[in-house]
Amino acid sequence: MATLELDSITKTFQDGDEEIVAVDDVSMSIDDGEFLVVVGPSGCGKSTTLRMIAGLETITAGTLSIDDRVVNDVKSQNRNIAMVFQSYALYPHMSVRQNMSFGLEESTDLPDDEINQMVSETGEMLGISELLDRKPTDLSGGQQQRVALGRAIVRDPEVFLMDEPLSNLDAKLRAEMRTELQRLQNNLGVTTVYVTHDQTEAMTMGDRIAILDAGELQQVATPLECYHEPANQFVASFLGEPSMNFFDVTLEGDRLVADVFEYPIDEDVRSDLGDVTDLVLGIRPEAVELVDEAGDHEFETTVDVVEPMGDENTVYLHFDPDADPEHAEALVATIDGFNRVSEGNTVTARIPEDAVHLFDRATGEALHNRSMEDAAEQIDL
Amino acid sequence: MLDFYRRLYRTIRPSLGDDEDAVRTDGGVVNDGAAGSAPEPDRDFRTRVEAALDRHFGSDFIESSIFWLPPFLLMGLFVYGAVIWNLLISLTDYQRFENAPDYSNLDLEMYTRALADSGFVDAAINTLILLVAFTAGTLVVGLLLAILIDRGIRFENTFRTIYLLPMSLSFVVTAQFWLWIYNYNNGIANSVIGTVGLGPVSWLGNQNIVLYAVIFALMWQFSGYAMVVYLAGLRAIPSEHYEAAKVDGASTLKMYWRVIIPQLKGATISAAVVLMVFGMKAFDFLYSLSGGYRPPNGADILATKMVREAYANLNWAYGSAIAIVLFAMALGVIGPYLVYEYRRDNL
Amino acid sequence: MSDGELRTDGGATTDVRWNLEGVTIEDAALYIVLLLAAAFYLVPIESGLVTSFKTGTAIVETAPFAPPGASGLTFEKWGSAIDALLRGMGNSLLYAVPATVISAFVGSITAYGLTIPTWKKSYKAVVLMLIIAGIFIPYQAVLVPLTQFWSQWVQLGEALSFVWALGIPNDYAGIIELVITHVAYGIPICTLLFRTYYKTMSEEMIESARLDGATLRRVYRRIVLPLSGPMFAVVLIYQFTQIWNDLLFTLVIVSTESSPAAPVVLILAGLGTSLEGQDFALRMAGAFFAALPTLAVYILFGEEFAEGVAA
Repeated sequence: MATLELDSITKTFQDGDEEIVAVDDVSMSIDDGEFLVVVGPSGCGKSTTLRMIAGLETITAGTLSIDDRVVNDVKSQNRNIAMVFQSYALYPHMSVRQNMSFGLEESTDLPDDEINQMVSETGEMLGISELLDRKPTDLSGGQQQRVALGRAIVRDPEVFLMDEPLSNLDAKLRAEMRTELQRLQNNLGVTTVYVTHDQTEAMTMGDRIAILDAGELQQVATPLECYHEPANQFVASFLGEPSMNFFDVTLEGDRLVADVFEYPIDEDVRSDLGDVTDLVLGIRPEAVELVDEAGDHEFETTVDVVEPMGDENTVYLHFDPDADPEHAEALVATIDGFNRVSEGNTVTARIPEDAVHLFDRATGEALHNRSMEDAAEQIDL
Repeated sequence: MLDFYRRLYRTIRPSLGDDEDAVRTDGGVVNDGAAGSAPEPDRDFRTRVEAALDRHFGSDFIESSIFWLPPFLLMGLFVYGAVIWNLLISLTDYQRFENAPDYSNLDLEMYTRALADSGFVDAAINTLILLVAFTAGTLVVGLLLAILIDRGIRFENTFRTIYLLPMSLSFVVTAQFWLWIYNYNNGIANSVIGTVGLGPVSWLGNQNIVLYAVIFALMWQFSGYAMVVYLAGLRAIPSEHYEAAKVDGASTLKMYWRVIIPQLKGATISAAVVLMVFGMKAFDFLYSLSGGYRPPNGADILATKMVREAYANLNWAYGSAIAIVLFAMALGVIGPYLVYEYRRDNL
Repeated sequence: MSDGELRTDGGATTDVRWNLEGVTIEDAALYIVLLLAAAFYLVPIESGLVTSFKTGTAIVETAPFAPPGASGLTFEKWGSAIDALLRGMGNSLLYAVPATVISAFVGSITAYGLTIPTWKKSYKAVVLMLIIAGIFIPYQAVLVPLTQFWSQWVQLGEALSFVWALGIPNDYAGIIELVITHVAYGIPICTLLFRTYYKTMSEEMIESARLDGATLRRVYRRIVLPLSGPMFAVVLIYQFTQIWNDLLFTLVIVSTESSPAAPVVLILAGLGTSLEGQDFALRMAGAFFAALPTLAVYILFGEEFAEGVAA
């Protein structure tokens, strides 16, 4: 149980004469008992960050503190941290019981019978009691995963670190374990840092998520904040499936002018933009509505492709009916599964002004986001 | 149950995480013995030095040195220490029953003496011939055997075991076998060439032949080794390459020559280096052929001449000088090899 | 039948292709060549074996590779070979076994320290290069200093005088010197062999053990060592063969075959040579007797031996 503080953490690798910055000036603090999910595309530095917390990589610059104690120079074995690896990293020559006792034997002076009791109880908690005398090679992937988890839990460390622990499981098991991991973490209340590239895991599991790209921290916030109030265009595009629609627009007076449409904005939105005129307009597919009436924020579009998902349809729309569908700018909308539109139809799409996001085209920074309250209201409706 | 953990850990924790230094020294890094009694400032200082060293060399440098440093020093003393010492001795005039070399007067006399010694020049030439012919011949035979064995044959293991068998035998033992094979009156070598009307040949007596007879025997002993190395290389080539060559219409011969053999470069280099080293160690074989320091006439190599000069003639310094020449030859082979391996990130 | 197809999945097709229809002239030629090659490797050994059972007259009268026949059969040479070499066998075991075990263990911890823990790769590479270069050093380059070292600097013979007082011939100091020498020069190859093995170990598993609170020493003791079994087999077999077969060090450290501590190779090198000429039957019997331990090891553990030499 501990707080974890990353202050301007930087990691560089030397590759020949080149210096590669893997993690660039990352600062964040993780509260006692919090479940933080670090997410980002592969190579973004999320695993390196985790390994620095674990002490498996040295920290090039910055300070790392656990419970206000700087641990930069403390070795892995003395940090009282438990980690669950993607490959599970079980000791193949030891039984499950020995695997789980190993950490307690190495890091505590507990007598054998107490260790045994703790292992048995943890095994019970995870439902692997009957596996305790087996070797890891005799276990299924899901069982090995549980043992790896049990090995971390039984030590009751100050911090749990998990490096894509579910990515070797099949889809069904992964969904089950996702729920179970959350429940466990909730019960145990151990500060947890969880690394994944999977945005579903990020959105569903974490108290907060930290989004990394190219070694730089993009945003740390609750999943909903990241989704509805992204700090920049990268975060907006990374979260959400299908991804947010983006259109390059230029501000001319109170209108946003794109290649194929013009979009008037009101004074409130206008005031958020300052004197930036080169913008990117973003709209989430689920915010796009198909309507009957016309208006300033409604556009005539042609349906290019419909992908039925069952509960909803993903519809690809084009503003210009004559354009080559391969190259024309598409507007993606998700609409109710019962709403029958078919390819070639002409439909009116509304881009509601209260749902648009506007980003500075040069920096990617978000200048205007839809407000969380509005979003919440809409969901209530 | 979770509360039970909490309580437990609260009782353990103080003895655990609190004192980093104590834990560290328990890890047995540097002078365990002094840890308990050392006064506080000293320990701080040591911790700081350790941290600084670790920062420079990598986080486990100090802790891991206990594993590799003592063996490394022992080996360094016996290998590099001895080579340097040997170099020093080669610059003295140490000989006969003097107890120790006189290091006060160093010169290159032994090296000039070597250049003037026709025996040395002959031995150097023989060494080169032996290295080149033995290495090349062994590689070719080994490659052929590997290709044959790799064709999905039955009893692969049996054949491989037979071909590698001589490698497990001592030079001293195989020398006995070949002494018998090369025997003038009753040896197999002469009865085999006798069937085609040749010979008999005095294999070990004829100065012009003996070196090649020795090379042939060494090839017999080590071609199995080359085969094993090549076999590993062949197994590493994806089968698509064979298929692609076949689809392209290459004949079997062309396929091996143009597609497969070029991919065995790595195997060839490492096998060649090891074979040359074996060749330089051929001393044991030649010593056992003659049962003494003087090998058959015409088969003297630097390795045998060095030992003979030092241990039979007691010309210690001269022997050392020859050893240095031999060492330089070996360095010429292994230096580039190690750089090559380092570049390929194989170290 | 195309060879390319046959090769594709290596051994797996063997069973499929080994049906009578599949046997072509090409296949037959392949096996004939393989058998001839096998004969080439076996004949010198076979010839030595039959010769060791021949009487003096049989050696002259029968072909060198033919069996002796009833009249020419004798076990006398084996008897004298064993008489001459048995003492040497004991001496050889006395240093080969400890030197093998120690050098394998030392190689294992050296390789561990240079492979598993994290420290700068460039420094590791320097240490490794120096160690690996040690494999290829021609031992002639260290012989004279080695002699100096053992005869002038470290005089084990005197240091251990209390042992000789117990009635053990002081030549046995040479055995201890041989153990230390073989261990020192065996470190490079043993380290290399273990390193190739440790490089394949799961990094995450080691990291997991470190995070579990284990020191490097404990990681070795509880994780790496128990998993090193297969490589220990390879290294022990390889080292034993090398040390048993080596002549050069025994020659300069023990020096005379008449010494009570003379190893078997030293006695064998001079066996059967006398003024009346060479007694080949005796030499062959001796050669086989001396090779018995390594042959046994090779036949029992051929796989490991092949792995050891290939590395």
